[in-house]
Amino acid sequence: MVALRGKELQVNEEELEDSNVGDVDDEEFESESESEPEEVAVSEPAKNAVYNKEALLEKLDDIAWPQNVEWIHKLTVDHAVDQEVDVNDDLARELAFYTQALDGTRQAFEKLQSMGIPFLRPPDYYAEMVKSDAHMLKVKGKLLVEKKKIEEAEERKKAREAKKLAKEVQAQKTKERAKRKKEDIESVKRWRKQRQQSGFARGKDEELDLSPDEEKSFEKSKKRRTGVAPGDRSGGFRRKGGNEKGRKQREFREAKFGHGGRKGMKKQNTAESTNDFKGFNKDKFSASKRQKK
Amino acid sequence: MGKKRKHAEASEAPKEEVAQERPKRTLLGWKDGVPEKQNSSPVFRNREKVLVTCSRRITYRYRHLMLNVVSLLPHCKKDSKVESKESKGATLNELIELRNCSSCLFFECRKQKDLYLWMVKCPSGPSVKFLVNAVHTMEELKLTGNHLKGSRPLLTFTSNFDKEPRWKLIKEMIVQIFGTPKDQRKVKPFHDHVFVFSIVDGHIWFRNYQISVPHNETDKVDRGGLDKLTLVEVGPRFCLNPIKIFGSSFGGPTFYENPFYISPNQIRALEKKKKAGKYSKKVKAKKRRKMHELSNPLEPDEFADLWKD
Repeated sequence: MVALRGKELQVNEEELEDSNVGDVDDEEFESESESEPEEVAVSEPAKNAVYNKEALLEKLDDIAWPQNVEWIHKLTVDHAVDQEVDVNDDLARELAFYTQALDGTRQAFEKLQSMGIPFLRPPDYYAEMVKSDAHMLKVKGKLLVEKKKIEEAEERKKAREAKKLAKEVQAQKTKERAKRKKEDIESVKRWRKQRQQSGFARGKDEELDLSPDEEKSFEKSKKRRTGVAPGDRSGGFRRKGGNEKGRKQREFREAKFGHGGRKGMKKQNTAESTNDFKGFNKDKFSASKRQKK
Repeated sequence: MGKKRKHAEASEAPKEEVAQERPKRTLLGWKDGVPEKQNSSPVFRNREKVLVTCSRRITYRYRHLMLNVVSLLPHCKKDSKVESKESKGATLNELIELRNCSSCLFFECRKQKDLYLWMVKCPSGPSVKFLVNAVHTMEELKLTGNHLKGSRPLLTFTSNFDKEPRWKLIKEMIVQIFGTPKDQRKVKPFHDHVFVFSIVDGHIWFRNYQISVPHNETDKVDRGGLDKLTLVEVGPRFCLNPIKIFGSSFGGPTFYENPFYISPNQIRALEKKKKAGKYSKKVKAKKRRKMHELSNPLEPDEFADLWKD
């Protein structure tokens, strides 16, 4: 009690101070007490609020439909509320509405089904809808865009992961290749050493003591180019077919210079090229022209 | 017979909802079977017609909401904007009578910011004034559902509508206004959408969902189809805050006043006041500091004269 008294005194002192300062503070003091919890200020008028229950019920009887009206006119379903939904929690609130609608629809459908009334729209029933087709197209477009965005994001993620993996795999591959190269060189060195040690006694008929690794390396390289002789300088394009003139020219060029076939073969002084007068101007060598000079 | 029929219709029309009363039917008095049959099972015809109007200076959002409501109710008649707020009660009543409607939804927009909805039953009915919040119209692309225009909705209410008389009255009015009459001219036969009215935190929340259920026939759901029932929201969405319930249309004795209702003007004024106090608070704080300093003077500083010459 004493503590309270002390508080009251303090409050009084503050009020005095405030009144000394001026009018503005008074108003603001009031507004402070008002704005602090709004319900506090409003519960006062709650006592004065009108609530005439009898009159309400009377009016209800006046306007209400007769009691024996069939359900089909009203189509109402009541849903029992389980627990109070927090208004500010959007998701919970919407979920509550959704469950209410779902529950209500189920009950209503059961009733309608028992009545034997057609209530489901057949697929070929075309009629005016509440939203126009153009609007529904827009909605569809938006949904597709969203879906696309999600898919793209997922793809990007996957690509990132795949890249990581690919890098690892590549690193491994290069390691392996280096290892193999090393091994090959080592094996040749070894063979040489062996020969040296045995004093070059072996003849040509003797087989080379090849290890299976070396044997493999003598196999054909993986880049198979069937039909192309190893010494073919045209890059394998000489035997290609094609009857049109343009194609022929293209072919000729490809055969001469190669189509990314063998490297570094841009131009060559071949037997064909020395006998080839195509690049020269015929008129230059004609008799009339020569005489002019 | 013809004459009797006409008389019957004339006396039936104003009393269509209250079907029990048949006092003046003396002409049928000597036909014993007929009046009894008519009294016990009268043909109930829902002849509800709703007039939907708005005030002038309504903003686009609320206008679209009104248009959405018009498209949801096939038994409504849309009218042009009304002005003159002084005698709005009288003119609106006359307008409703003129258009031969039995109830009205009046969207009143104040200061181009706040929307009030009046739900009124015409001849002598009660009227309710709501403040509308949280409006989302059907044009929003996030609300993806669609349904037949003019099909009858299923109405679902939460059980707290039956707890108090004010909610009971509002529920009855909602059923009559938002429920489409069965034999109305523009009504389409199937039921493919559902309205949700629920009371949360003293507000009435409205939602409209499209029903989609896999089915092959029109009057039977497939076995297990009820479990695959899904709802897609069509819109619009709004939240109603009841302000007052009056005894007659657009006025009359107040039957109910919401104690927790604060008008949006008041809310804005309070916020402004809070901001307005900033400068005076600063001045006050300075003065207080001065007083405090005067009342508790500092001890004289030993080193104050150190640098003086």
